[in-house]
Amino acid sequence: MSVHESVLHALDERGHGAYVESFDPQDDHMVLNMGPVHPATHGVLRLLLELDGEIVVRCEPVIGYLHTGIEKECEDNNWRGAVTCVTRMDYLSQLFNEQAYCMAVEELLGIEVPPRGKWIRTMMVELNRLQSHLVWFGTQGLDMGAISAMFYGFREREVITDFFEMTTGYRMNNSWFVPGGTWDDLPEGWERAVRSIVRMMPARLDEYENLLSTNPIFLERTRGVGAISQEDALKIGSSGPIARATGIDWDLRRDMPYEAYGELDFEVPLRSDGDVYARYEVRMDEMRQSVRLVEQLLDGMPGGDHKNMDPKLTPPPRAELNRSMEAVIHHFKLMTQGFTVPPGEAYVAVESSRGELGAYVVSDGGTAPYRVHVRDPSFVNVQAIPVMAERGLVADLIATIASVDPVMGGVDR
Amino acid sequence: MGGVSDTLGTNFVTTQLDKLVNWARKSSLWPATFGLACCAIEMMATTMPRHDLARFGMEAFRGSPRQSDLMIVAGRVSQKMAPVLRHIYDQMTEPKWVISMGVCASSGGVFNNYALVQGVDQIVPVDIYVPGCPPRPEMLMDGIMLLHDKIQRGEYTSGRQAV
Amino acid sequence: MASQWVAAAEWPEKVASLTREGWWLADLCALDTIGLNGGAEDNDPSKRFEVVTQWLHRERKERVTIHVPAEGDPPSVPSIIETWPEATFMEREAYDLMGIVFDGHEGLARLLMPENWEGHPLRKDYGVGKIPIQWIPQPVMQVDAPGQAPDSISAGHQVDRLGQSPVDREEAGAP
Repeated sequence: MSVHESVLHALDERGHGAYVESFDPQDDHMVLNMGPVHPATHGVLRLLLELDGEIVVRCEPVIGYLHTGIEKECEDNNWRGAVTCVTRMDYLSQLFNEQAYCMAVEELLGIEVPPRGKWIRTMMVELNRLQSHLVWFGTQGLDMGAISAMFYGFREREVITDFFEMTTGYRMNNSWFVPGGTWDDLPEGWERAVRSIVRMMPARLDEYENLLSTNPIFLERTRGVGAISQEDALKIGSSGPIARATGIDWDLRRDMPYEAYGELDFEVPLRSDGDVYARYEVRMDEMRQSVRLVEQLLDGMPGGDHKNMDPKLTPPPRAELNRSMEAVIHHFKLMTQGFTVPPGEAYVAVESSRGELGAYVVSDGGTAPYRVHVRDPSFVNVQAIPVMAERGLVADLIATIASVDPVMGGVDR
Repeated sequence: MGGVSDTLGTNFVTTQLDKLVNWARKSSLWPATFGLACCAIEMMATTMPRHDLARFGMEAFRGSPRQSDLMIVAGRVSQKMAPVLRHIYDQMTEPKWVISMGVCASSGGVFNNYALVQGVDQIVPVDIYVPGCPPRPEMLMDGIMLLHDKIQRGEYTSGRQAV
Repeated sequence: MASQWVAAAEWPEKVASLTREGWWLADLCALDTIGLNGGAEDNDPSKRFEVVTQWLHRERKERVTIHVPAEGDPPSVPSIIETWPEATFMEREAYDLMGIVFDGHEGLARLLMPENWEGHPLRKDYGVGKIPIQWIPQPVMQVDAPGQAPDSISAGHQVDRLGQSPVDREEAGAP
């Protein structure tokens, strides 16, 4: 029996079953404010807890402490500049934000991304998924008291971040995708860098599993804790690892393939318990599948253009500017005004490391977006925290928040 | 300047003791956890094995502001967060320093709009500004080294009276 | 992309029928159509605001977008949080940032802005709130003849290429 059940059992035996089972508002509930500055809320999440001793009777998330007005800011930048704004929303899955936005703009423009562009984007995005899950692994361990997990997770993350710096120039918030492909091609020596990541990761993932998966303390704190049923998960809108841990077999990469996923071979992990341990297992398996995907992308990378070279969309190569007047005019117009997008609206969703990340883009025919709205998975997943945490202990709440893995930049935008 | 001379008042002249106290203060600064956004991830990366802030005695991030003497404001400060920031700053005990990490904390950064406080120095006095979006861990460490020099010289935040 | 428009009065029924058929609510957001030509009904000012919802059918692997124009003053739309608790935060955000009121949503309060904030930031008549960049007045650089670099000392000018005068430089203690 888990810690939670044994506490309930003990309370029951002492005749306090009524306290626990009935939730009539009683005078001796304590209201506790957790956050927004708290070591274990991932960022600036504030939770108002109504406690009956150690048991959480009600939990209400209060958000908005990181609201940056990014959606409004996008309307003030042109179509290419909005990528730099959108990338700072969910700052751990930064390339997913860019991918969703760029794909939505490409749908509005009606253009195709060349195969190499698609494969490069998919590879960068899968490395980003790996990076994001490594931070999740670190913070999950840290919140449970396994502080070493933090050091291991970030050690691997640094290697992937080095590759990102080599390619995009930035460690984080790389605004590298553009509508039409990627800004630049992969640099020389990228195969060796990615190959070393792919060779290193499986052994490291085995090390992590040795650390936590069979550890009795970890199992005690995560099995049966923070459980959510499949119907609740559907109604509360959770997607991604949270939904797959309850048995909802849905992954946009496999079921509605986009970019290069149609040509790749991978599995989608699925569990049915819906508790913290199931989410842990789903994410660990997802990390392994990401490594498998990156290896396939590395081996099969096609040649060709990395972005759609339509002159109305993409600045021409610098050498062209010496030879052609049209190239100079295109370059000038693109650098001063930017390209225009025909009027319309588009919603495109990608499977980010936290769930369905969708970008809803509306154009009025101008050089700047009219409305950009990003459906962030963490925004919806935070609503699942009360469902999982009520009737649990405060310590279980910490485990639950870590397993939901919210990123407040995406929640508040 | 700094050290014990401020507490002892004007009747005593303390030089070597000042230096000792300042050295002790700078060698084990304890930051308060104030990671807000993307810069928080780089701040965490600075404490991790690759860049290792523990060499400078600063790996112990305290959860309680009463136990810390450095506040690294890492990330963008929104309108709703501003009073919380000031609250936490007020709860820190003297002597205290503030590093404003990243351009969003220093000046509003990329986001010049209604939702952000344009620079955290509108709310709290800042000692060191570290630019970058987000700054590399090495840049943050450079800012921390400058702060260490500042503490060794015994300077409190310019414009603020030493208590 | 399939887009449909549904009147606000028929909205709860439409949601019920979509749910019965197996659609899943992916997203709910607000849109200010004042700058779009046409919008729903030829730029009708009473139908300025719309609630835009995205639905996903997992079996059929289809998506659909449904617009619900918000009518009245303040613009309002029936709430769907009874059927879809997912929409709780989404409706609160639409209220906070665009000012659309959701009938039947108890506890409709601001979500992202502070509670005492006035105005709805994402509306088109609410500015971005930019602080304009202030330029320090620079002295004008004088050039005697085309092709000549500005050289203060030999040409006897007051300022050099950095905009400083030799007097300033001396006072600043430069070598």
